[in-house]
Amino acid sequence: MISTNNLTKKFGDFTAVDNLSLSVNEGEILCLLGANGAGKSTTINMLLNFIPPSSGSATINGLDVVKNPIKTKEFITYIPENLMLYPSLTAMENLDYFSGIAGKKLTPTQLSNFLEEAGLQTNAFHKRISTFSKGMRQKVGIALALAKDTKVLLLDEPTSGLDPKAGNEFGELLQNLKNKGVAVLMATHDLFRAKEVATHIGIMKGGQLRQQFVADDISLSQLEKAYLDTMNVTEAMP
Amino acid sequence: MLRYNFIYELRLLLRSRWIQLLSLLLLVLFGFSTFNGEQKVQKRRSDIAAAKQEVQESDQAMIKLLDSVERGMEVSVPYWTIPTSPMAVGNYYPRVAAMEPQPMSFVSTGQADLFTHYMKPTVSGDDFTLNFTEMSSPVQLLFGSFDLAFVIVYLLPLLIIAFTYNVLSSEKEQGSLRLLASQPISIGKWVFQKLILRFFWLSVLATFSLLATIFLVGIGPFQWGAFLSLLALTLSYMLFWFALAFLVNLFVGSSAKNAVSLIGLWVLFVLLTPSVLNQLGSKLYPMPSRTLMINKMRERKAAATERQDEILDNFLRDHPEYAINDSTQTRSFYHRYMASQEVVKEELQPIVNEYEKQLQKQQTWSKQLQWISPAIVVQESLNQLAGTSTDDYENYRGQVMGFAEVWREHFMSFLYNNQNFSQADYPGLPQFHFEQRKDKSVLTVPILLLMTIVMLCCGLLASKSLKTGKVLS
Repeated sequence: MISTNNLTKKFGDFTAVDNLSLSVNEGEILCLLGANGAGKSTTINMLLNFIPPSSGSATINGLDVVKNPIKTKEFITYIPENLMLYPSLTAMENLDYFSGIAGKKLTPTQLSNFLEEAGLQTNAFHKRISTFSKGMRQKVGIALALAKDTKVLLLDEPTSGLDPKAGNEFGELLQNLKNKGVAVLMATHDLFRAKEVATHIGIMKGGQLRQQFVADDISLSQLEKAYLDTMNVTEAMP
Repeated sequence: MLRYNFIYELRLLLRSRWIQLLSLLLLVLFGFSTFNGEQKVQKRRSDIAAAKQEVQESDQAMIKLLDSVERGMEVSVPYWTIPTSPMAVGNYYPRVAAMEPQPMSFVSTGQADLFTHYMKPTVSGDDFTLNFTEMSSPVQLLFGSFDLAFVIVYLLPLLIIAFTYNVLSSEKEQGSLRLLASQPISIGKWVFQKLILRFFWLSVLATFSLLATIFLVGIGPFQWGAFLSLLALTLSYMLFWFALAFLVNLFVGSSAKNAVSLIGLWVLFVLLTPSVLNQLGSKLYPMPSRTLMINKMRERKAAATERQDEILDNFLRDHPEYAINDSTQTRSFYHRYMASQEVVKEELQPIVNEYEKQLQKQQTWSKQLQWISPAIVVQESLNQLAGTSTDDYENYRGQVMGFAEVWREHFMSFLYNNQNFSQADYPGLPQFHFEQRKDKSVLTVPILLLMTIVMLCCGLLASKSLKTGKVLS
């Protein structure tokens, strides 16, 4: 569903993403771990065609993202670190608007069902987004993925700043989407969350995918050690 | 996408206090400027009515005097104003040559602040030097008139700028642009649709405001064509500014930069270009001194006075029709004065022509270059619609000159035939009837629309090659 082949992005002399090749299939969650500047967000930006690659290619559902920027976005839902919706519109209205411009005509009942499935409290459906917490806004983002019947979910640090309960709920929502066959690519610093929700985990450094694991084959402590080894820090974390 | 953009843009607009304030401001500005413009028109109407009333009263007094004189009674007025003398009628009982305001005059004060709208030409007056300039308040000339044209040409673009400068940049600044850009839509098309919807919203407001003002002022059944012209001009001018805003939104960047760029364009089109064109016109085609012209006229008159007898002889030789019916062959001051007046007029014609020619050149030059600034074109079109343009006042001046000639000629035969003016001659006095100009320009709206379409097409074409990353960065 998501595939990159020797994907590279250079900003002048600086190589942000270096010959990255990865794939995420239906029902898989790939978490990309790495320090700031490792190239995780740049990869997502290239998949969204927000920035063009310097070389290599990326495909979504078999379509090249550079050649088919509009078509590939039909399959994608993107939730950035801080999902900003229209503050003066309600949750229902925001969901209706964003799914509408993406080509999905939905009834109020369908919209309510998606918001409910995304875990938003019923009494918040008709409240303006300006009153929402970050976790509630992320739920509207998940509802958008459900409403769009999305094939690919791109998440950029979605759980940073969420309290543990909200983070846990978010993890459950991702599992739900995974079970529906959605391919998820998530950039995060959060090893614990990555281990909890991912089917595959990759560690990036200097724009390269240095290590890749099947999540079930590795324990949290092994993952932590692998991460620190990759970052060239050998001492254990406190 | 259009349907969703339409519905939600409208909701966002209706929930935005800033937009509510702008809409209210638009209504207030349209209402106040119409009221102000209508007040000025009412003042013009009442001035003309007062002048006509004065003439009517003066005519009644003249008829009474004529009646008394014809009955052989003595009258207690200075002898040179007794209306049995044709020159007394021609000089002291003139007609009003008025430029009546048109139904849409409230739209634009135009040249009405500078020129008078009624004259009383006399037989011995120098019609070629008739001064049409009215005493004006320098403060008013400095700031212009607060009429509907001022609101449309100067203030409406500022409201449009406030309405449009951050359509795209605000999305970027509040963070919603990344979510939008991840949807299967073209950002260029999305901005275009948002602006079209804002244009639609502002058009509804403008149309409603104009309709309200029209009902406030009152409009005749045949003036709807003029109203539609006003509406078409306003909307096409608005569309021009929206097209500029579209290009700036796509290619400039942050809200602050967009606002500064649009204000810069406003200064360029609305303030700078008209001022530069005006200055250049004066430099390229300087007007000859009016004082010099008047001095020359005085010199010619003084010279003519010295040879009045000779001039009169020549005049009568050229106009035998004036002499043959006169048995008295009496010659007074006015016989000589009117004959020399003709000579002075002929001699001064080249100087007057030079003055007129330069004025004409200046105006032609300005008209050719007016398309550099849509603000000039729209102001000129609104002036024409209101009947207060330079062309309208030129037309009026021409008609007054013509009437002054007719008025003089009417009394010349009385004078040179030494024929008294009587009550029976009163109904035959020439009357002034003002004719509106017919050749009004209709090109403004199509040309403005063409300019707008070109800008929108350029924007849409360029937006196809616009990189999403560039928009997001």
